[in-house]
Amino acid sequence: MSHVESNDPADQTLLYCEKPEWQDVTPIPQYDGVNPIAPIFYTPEYKDATEYFRAVVEKDEISERVLQLTLDIIQMNPAHYSAWQYRYRTIIALKRPLEAELTLMDVLAIQFLKTYQVWHHRRLVLTALYESSTSDSASSPSSNAAGAAAAAKELAFITRALETDTKNYHTWSYRQWLLAFFDDEALWEGELPYVERLLEADVRNNSAWHHRFFVVFGRVRAKGEVDLEEVLKRELSYTKDQIAFAPNNPSAWNYLRGILERNKKPYSDLQTFVEPYTVPASSSTDEGIVDLDNPRPGPGAQLPCVAALEFLADIHEKAGGEQTKQAIEIWKSLANEHDTMRKKYWEFRVKEASA
Amino acid sequence: MSSSSGKPSSTELNIPLHVKYIQTLGQNKDDLMYHMTSHLRMNAIYWGLMALCIMNRKDALDRDETIEFVLSCWDDEAGAFGAHPGHDAHILSTLSAIQVLTIHDAVDKIDVSRVVKFILSLQQPSGVFAGDSFGEIDTRFSYIAVQALSLLGHLDKLDVEKTVAYVLKCRNFDGGFGAVIGAESHSGQVFVCVALLAILDKLDEIDQDTLAWWLAERQLPNGGLNGRPQKLEDVCYSFWVLSAISILDKLTWIDADKLAGFILSAQDLENGGIADRPGDQPDVFHTIFGVAGLSLLGHPGLEDVDPVYCLPASLTEKLGLRKAWRALPRRTVS
Ligand SMILES: [Zn+2]
Repeated sequence: MSHVESNDPADQTLLYCEKPEWQDVTPIPQYDGVNPIAPIFYTPEYKDATEYFRAVVEKDEISERVLQLTLDIIQMNPAHYSAWQYRYRTIIALKRPLEAELTLMDVLAIQFLKTYQVWHHRRLVLTALYESSTSDSASSPSSNAAGAAAAAKELAFITRALETDTKNYHTWSYRQWLLAFFDDEALWEGELPYVERLLEADVRNNSAWHHRFFVVFGRVRAKGEVDLEEVLKRELSYTKDQIAFAPNNPSAWNYLRGILERNKKPYSDLQTFVEPYTVPASSSTDEGIVDLDNPRPGPGAQLPCVAALEFLADIHEKAGGEQTKQAIEIWKSLANEHDTMRKKYWEFRVKEASA
Repeated sequence: MSSSSGKPSSTELNIPLHVKYIQTLGQNKDDLMYHMTSHLRMNAIYWGLMALCIMNRKDALDRDETIEFVLSCWDDEAGAFGAHPGHDAHILSTLSAIQVLTIHDAVDKIDVSRVVKFILSLQQPSGVFAGDSFGEIDTRFSYIAVQALSLLGHLDKLDVEKTVAYVLKCRNFDGGFGAVIGAESHSGQVFVCVALLAILDKLDEIDQDTLAWWLAERQLPNGGLNGRPQKLEDVCYSFWVLSAISILDKLTWIDADKLAGFILSAQDLENGGIADRPGDQPDVFHTIFGVAGLSLLGHPGLEDVDPVYCLPASLTEKLGLRKAWRALPRRTVS
């Protein structure tokens, strides 16, 4: 590499207006207007760098030094989308090594996890990397060796980033984009074990439950490629175990409903499983019997569980007839006792069913 | 809750204090974070002005100065507005500019056809909108595009079918919506998708009851609402849930007293402004959404807010843009 950009603050002690290699550029100051309701106050370093950036944009300069300038600005303000945009353009125009750009941005991404731009930049770079290596071997993303290798490396990086914040929205969306874009069996393979590790650490992590659904049902498959009945059986069993472990976990209950609806299975299939969760803990007397298909609430569980009551009421409502009364009884108990905050909703359900 | 923060708590909205807070925004030179938010400056003007409108103090920011600032952010190359003079145009700042100009009845001061062209240029082949030429995509930008075109009276130029198709693809198994296809459900995203569908008269395309239930489930024991299961309650999420659920006409599914109590307890009663939750630093973003939330809940002494546009309801009514949302009736001071 002819030019190494520096993250080292020692290198940034000089302002751009003091750097000999920038003397040919006339900085353009920020037009601040006259308006008192929106003044902006900058640090001297930021003001200096952005003045040179404006000059660079004005001249449409594409050069190595622009890379250091944009990096400096991004480090001071990762939300500066023009600096990102200009940086990306420059990297492509100069044919800079794209893997190196990703590596350079690793620290920045972890540091500014919540800034969308860091993820979008990675996505652009990774896409460019894939496209540059696919031009000679016209094929699908997954059969592109260089692309696949970069994607695998990127997936590992995302995993590291998620260790810092296991619920970061941008990071998760980026992971989902990557999987769908490359659609490589080797990438997908590790996802379910990964989700399981996350849920083992925090069974209430809604992002992990969402990702599980994405991994299990989101991938476009050829007919017959997977045994859907087997998948459903596995997912039901896994979800029931997680509910037994932590019954008052809305994410797991939402997932349970999601997989049943996705597979067009009636809720009533799960009546035996759900019932022990709908009664106070003390009334379960047959603890000695172990039914692997229907794991019971663990010791110390807070029962009855609101989500289970709702689920059972839905079963009764669907059955109709005499069972409607049972549904109404449950909704009334939710309105008046177990979930009083959403009283109006439960009353709405009662009214709808009675109509 | 509020008592643990050590600050005085209130069951009333301290309007004069919040008006003063907004008027003095941006005058605090000690705020080191200030330059970081320059990319939101135009939005901040809209948030401040809209908060004042709800509190019946639209006059508290000078009209001419405000319009002058907005016009000074015009990016003539792109044909739209940046967040600050000299900044590149972005769809976020462009909508805020249009909203501010609409509130001040000054849209005639801009080249509408160029703005319309800019907005339409951001629609991607998939139907979603990007925020700028950098290419970030998000259902939030689709909503912004739709609202902007609606306010400018150029909705007829939008490919409605494609726009709606993308939004519907973002629907998840739990009934909610995410930012892009495959992304997790999130209150903010649910709001933008619902409001977009409302503007385009396409709400019948979704299962409204399931969605409203997902929204009602966002309310936590302290009355505040969160963005996703297991996340903390927040005043801004409270507004997004509230506006989405009022567009679905199910606002009563939320415990209004508890939510109002939560928002009021997030007021800074020393320096004004509302924070994300009790005890935190206030900012203009949570101030507008706190005040707007209270308005939808029927808090006395406030102007009606249109939850679809987050603009004064009297304004959308006048423009003929009002949809079938419903807020709680305005209470009189007891
Ligand atoms: Zn917030």
